[in-house]
Amino acid sequence: MVSRFRPARRLGLIGLLFASAGCSDWLSYDPGSLRYIEAEAMTQELGPKPNLHGKPKLQAKVRETMARLYGPDPQLIRVPKGAPLMLGGRYLASHLRESEGQAGPDRRIYEGDNLQDPKLRPQLGGYSIYRRNCLHCHGVTGAGDGPTASFFFPRPRDFRRGIFKFTSTPTGARPHRDDLRRTIVKGLDGTSMPAFEPILSPSEIEQVVDYVIFLSLRGETELALIEEASISEEGDNEALGEDIVQEIVSGVFTRWKSAQAQVVNPSVARTPPTRESILRGRDLYLASDCKDCHGRLAKGDGASFVETKISNEIIFGGDPSKMGERVAALPEKVQALWKQKLDEWGNPLRPANLNRGKETTYKGGRRPIDIYWRIAKGINGAQMPGHYPSPFDDRKMWDIVNFVLALPYEPELLTEAPVAPTAGAPAVADARPR
Amino acid sequence: MRYWSILFAMAAVGAVGAFLYAYFSPDWWLPNPPGDFHHSVSRFGREIDKLFFIILAITGAVFVGTQVVLVWAMHRFADETDAQGHPVRKADYFHGSQRLEVIWTIIPAGILVFIALYQMGTWAEIKYRSAAPKVPPLAEVTARQFQWVIRYPGPDGKLNTVDDLVVVDDLHFTRDRMALIYLRSSDVLHSFFLPQLRVKQDAVPGLTIPVWFDADRAGDYELVCAELCGWGHYKMRGKVYVHETEEQLRQWIDEKLAEQNRSRLTMTTAPNGR
Repeated sequence: MVSRFRPARRLGLIGLLFASAGCSDWLSYDPGSLRYIEAEAMTQELGPKPNLHGKPKLQAKVRETMARLYGPDPQLIRVPKGAPLMLGGRYLASHLRESEGQAGPDRRIYEGDNLQDPKLRPQLGGYSIYRRNCLHCHGVTGAGDGPTASFFFPRPRDFRRGIFKFTSTPTGARPHRDDLRRTIVKGLDGTSMPAFEPILSPSEIEQVVDYVIFLSLRGETELALIEEASISEEGDNEALGEDIVQEIVSGVFTRWKSAQAQVVNPSVARTPPTRESILRGRDLYLASDCKDCHGRLAKGDGASFVETKISNEIIFGGDPSKMGERVAALPEKVQALWKQKLDEWGNPLRPANLNRGKETTYKGGRRPIDIYWRIAKGINGAQMPGHYPSPFDDRKMWDIVNFVLALPYEPELLTEAPVAPTAGAPAVADARPR
Repeated sequence: MRYWSILFAMAAVGAVGAFLYAYFSPDWWLPNPPGDFHHSVSRFGREIDKLFFIILAITGAVFVGTQVVLVWAMHRFADETDAQGHPVRKADYFHGSQRLEVIWTIIPAGILVFIALYQMGTWAEIKYRSAAPKVPPLAEVTARQFQWVIRYPGPDGKLNTVDDLVVVDDLHFTRDRMALIYLRSSDVLHSFFLPQLRVKQDAVPGLTIPVWFDADRAGDYELVCAELCGWGHYKMRGKVYVHETEEQLRQWIDEKLAEQNRSRLTMTTAPNGR
């Protein structure tokens, strides 16, 4: 049906071309090839953080190495050997040129359609799908800096550090491929990440998962190269030698590969959500550090965070680019607390409101196993710490999961709870790293 | 310049031709299943299509009539000059015709009143709350930027309880049965649009609006947002699936519930991202 439609569409376009001959500038607008944006650490002075400020020779070396490893721009993608991608990265682009046997790590070259002699692949390629559907928020480099990004709270993920919030792998580990796929397929409830299941085919989703991993690998390698180079003197000709680069790249790849075999699967089956289990979970909630952030009534208003009202005014109370000015206007004490409660990427954080009735949203998913993962291993990059195996053992984990899932429909669990936890409730150590 | 009349005549013929072509092309015709593209799958769809045809017939007849008069007038009274370059006809001025004006006001007004009265039954059946089917709700659909969050009653048959099934962008119901949903919005205006079923209803923040529809053919359809709701409006799509039988729908809900209640992984995942 679509092919029959095309000639008509083309005719229409030609008509439009003639009709708008007066404003041909608008029609012929060409943004040019997309370019990666360099990590801030490449050129900026970042205080104690490793950076290459004022070291142009080393900067050039990092740039040259990055182009050799991953390609100079998104239109020409190179993938080093051994990358944790489907078929070594063949699904990243629509055209492929094999360069097997060449020296160096760039065994294959993937590209758009502007180089000579590329083989057309039977797919759009992750880059193309990403460019159409994801780039406007997540940005060309995957830095979460696309043109629409500033309008969101929470902000779109920056892939370049390989840290992802909603994972099934141990605390701090890279995500499993399934985790990224689940986020793309189902979206993230309560954020602006839409579900792509009705928009993309399963195969397109796999390609885009590959491209997200590619951008992560690229970003992580860039940061590691900068860090490595920052140790060297500007005049050091042997800085970033082939061996070191290889070591850095394989270190980045290994972190992704090892995570694929480390999915956390609860060691005991879920305790049925009986009244007893839910009440035990309630007592655990009140006796542990949960309430410090999530609040006595689990409304996401615990004392460890800046008050919800102030927080809302800062985040939503005007131009997002002027958030810094609004923070600066706060009393000093509140300001200090605010700065402590930022996430790994420097964005404001709020503890989840777990008690919003049926409107309660679980960003990382509402299945018991999703809640288990969030509580057991925490949320990477956010301030939710892991709670398994301490302070919650297998049984306590399920009690608290059962409580969290029951609470929205039974707010009286907390409103009518005794102020002190019931006698006999286990004393739980505070596991939050201070 | 009589040629102008030919150009205008061609434009009119082209417009009529486009409608004639559309009738034989599933790409140009109303959104219907490809095999049988003249048949709307829903009862309301057929009623709305009927109204559409009546209006199309009225406007089509008026269009053809006015075009014929226009082209004839252009042809008949095209400017003509004699050998000296003077117009051969004298232009007359006259100050309106009350009789004509009354006629061309009363006829369209009559047509409008006819359409307004004629569609009332259909409108009432589709939109009046009193006409809502007395069936348990299929689901509650909450629009948010940029998703349709769809909540089906769980095994207890009641909405908004702990055993509900909550899915995103996935609307399922059974054929030949009126489906009733409650439509809400959690942020801005959205519009719940099932093109194949000709159902369109704004989702308004703060309101819970009942919407009902049916389909006489099982299969895949579309749910889209029909109210510009932000940068991701075009991503706000959902899948609609019409099941053959109630058992199949129940089975689908049970499968989804089993996944929603998953507490452990059963499948083993191979290393290396494959």
